Amino acid sequence: MKKVIEIKDLFKTYVDADIIVKAVNGVSLSFEEGEFAAIVGPSGSGKTTLLNMIGGLDKYTEGSIIIDGIDISQLSSKQMIDFRLNNIGFVFQAYNLIPVLTAKENAEFIMQLQHKSKKERQERIMELFEAVGISEKANVRPGKLSGGQQQRVAVARALASKPKFILADEPTANLDSKSTADLLDIMRKLNEEENITFIFSTHDQRVIDRAKRVITLEDGKIISDEVK
Amino acid sequence: MNFINIKIAWRSIWRNRLRSSVVLMAVAIGIFGGLASVGVMKGMIIDNVDNTLKTETSHIQIHDKKFVENNEVQFVINNTSELINEIKKSPNVIAVTSRTKVFGMASTASKGSGVMLNGIDTEVEKSVSIVSEMLVDTNSSWFDTNKKNRIVISKKLSKKLNAGIKSKIILTFQDYKGNLTGASFKVIGIYKTQNSMFDELNVFVNKKDINRILNLPENSSHEIAIMLNNYNDAKLIAKEFSDKYPDKLVETWYDLNPYIKMSADMIGFMLFIFMSIILLALGFAIVNTMLMVILERKKELGMIMAIGMNRRKVFSMIMWETILLSFTGAFVGIILSAIFTTYFGHNGIDISSVGEGFESAGYSSILYPVLHLLDYVQVVILVFITGIIASIFPSIRALKMKPAEAVKE
Ligand SMILES: Nc1ncnc2c1ncn2[C@@H]1O[C@H](COP(=O)(O)OP(=O)(O)OP(=O)(O)O)[C@@H](O)[C@H]1O
Ligand SMILES: [Mg+2]
Repeated sequence: MKKVIEIKDLFKTYVDADIIVKAVNGVSLSFEEGEFAAIVGPSGSGKTTLLNMIGGLDKYTEGSIIIDGIDISQLSSKQMIDFRLNNIGFVFQAYNLIPVLTAKENAEFIMQLQHKSKKERQERIMELFEAVGISEKANVRPGKLSGGQQQRVAVARALASKPKFILADEPTANLDSKSTADLLDIMRKLNEEENITFIFSTHDQRVIDRAKRVITLEDGKIISDEVK
Repeated sequence: MNFINIKIAWRSIWRNRLRSSVVLMAVAIGIFGGLASVGVMKGMIIDNVDNTLKTETSHIQIHDKKFVENNEVQFVINNTSELINEIKKSPNVIAVTSRTKVFGMASTASKGSGVMLNGIDTEVEKSVSIVSEMLVDTNSSWFDTNKKNRIVISKKLSKKLNAGIKSKIILTFQDYKGNLTGASFKVIGIYKTQNSMFDELNVFVNKKDINRILNLPENSSHEIAIMLNNYNDAKLIAKEFSDKYPDKLVETWYDLNPYIKMSADMIGFMLFIFMSIILLALGFAIVNTMLMVILERKKELGMIMAIGMNRRKVFSMIMWETILLSFTGAFVGIILSAIFTTYFGHNGIDISSVGEGFESAGYSSILYPVLHLLDYVQVVILVFITGIIASIFPSIRALKMKPAEAVKE
């Protein structure tokens, strides 16, 4: 299997009022195409920090992250934005969608940033909305969607740009158990049928149970990495 | 491809309806206030310029060079009718008349006053000056060609001399040879222009009468007054006449009344200055609002940048929102102004109860606001510039948002 992400000796140190916090403390890790990996660990263990660095949202102190052969620390901040747009799909815990755009427009938005034609956009969004089961809500604004529906739109939006992988930081944290199960079903299905790579962090045991690989962090270090 | 930015920007304005409405109202009222006041002032000035040209200066005047120095009676233009015929040939000229002018004393039994006697060609004068249309007393009439020694005086002078219609006025002045001479005139008309200073000084008599009394040949006069198709051409045409008649002094309306020229020039500036001040104030309100907007949307903006919207697009999105917000307000303000100027441009605003001082300064007491298409265009451009400038600071703020910080729960 092709390696998409390769992380070597990664450190991230925060200095906050003379207190040094090693949020990520020497992590080496790689992900292959088609993975369905959960990053787990107690609060403050460094899950968000690690995901943000992989996603190029935050700079690291030491080490390297190579994505698809590109050392992302070499990219200028302008290049990094374009890199994110074309290579990484993001699903956040909240505030994923632009409230003034409809579900469909939200998903389309990212393809418009990529200058995709209207026809291409329409086709892809239709297909993706079908896949995440949100087609009938396409013309509704996020304010009128449930949390679970919003997250499904966010997944569709993340996929719309045809990224190499999707990063999701606690995508189910705000969802009830039914919505959590539904979202996981959809992600898992996309992973198995379309070979989409998902890397997500979670606290939730039910989510961990559905993962194919579980990486456990504690105090910024990997304490276990199991493939089921 | 920027359409998505504009779409988001436009819809975002309506997210906080109350706040946006307040800003819109402020912009609308500001623009309306500015445009309406400029319209009123512009109307006043245009009216004033127009009246001054039609009563006092005409567009071009020609005198003997020496006459202008000290208004001595002997410096006349001879062969007036031949000169007039020549001038009439110019395609830009629509009317020409001649006048004999002499300073004198007008007196009644009780009082006297220094006046400028205008000996006019009573019928032709109507095509150059509108004084004949400004008769106020119901018994007033303009000159009857057959009757000798008739005079038209202003309302103001009529009061001063205590002389009404049919009263006799004695005019005394120096003739051609420096001898004091005079005659009795009967008041047949009382006029009133907007300029009370002009009114107090000027009286009108038939040129034939005055030339006879002055011992001037019938075909001579002191002043040729010309009206053109367009008063803006005055300078060009004056130059033409000046070259053609080197012994004459050819003056345009703005040589004759530089103050009026200044007023006319001011029209263009006024809107610019007025609107700039108003928009500067509004600009601060807009900046303030947009900063609030950005603070509120911190997480959303962070998310947008995280998923891959570049800085230029974020900037343009905020800019569009600012511009559209300003424009919507401006649109309302412009519509209100258009309604205002159309209605009152037709019906006039009567300020005679509050504006007595106005008339003595030469302004009408009924105001007709005037705005041209170009004024609106200018406002639209200024609003656009304001929108752009006002969006710079908020946009920079938005760009400082770090995606990682912004998306943090
Ligand atoms: N911007 C920052 N400045 C200083 N310290 C930070 C900053 N961001 C994170 N940290 C610290 O780094 C450590 C790791 O934080 P991180 O958010 O990655 O943990 P997490 O595993 O995602 O926790 P949670 O499960 O609560 O989301 C924590 O101790 C946190 O306090
Ligand atoms: Mg976290």
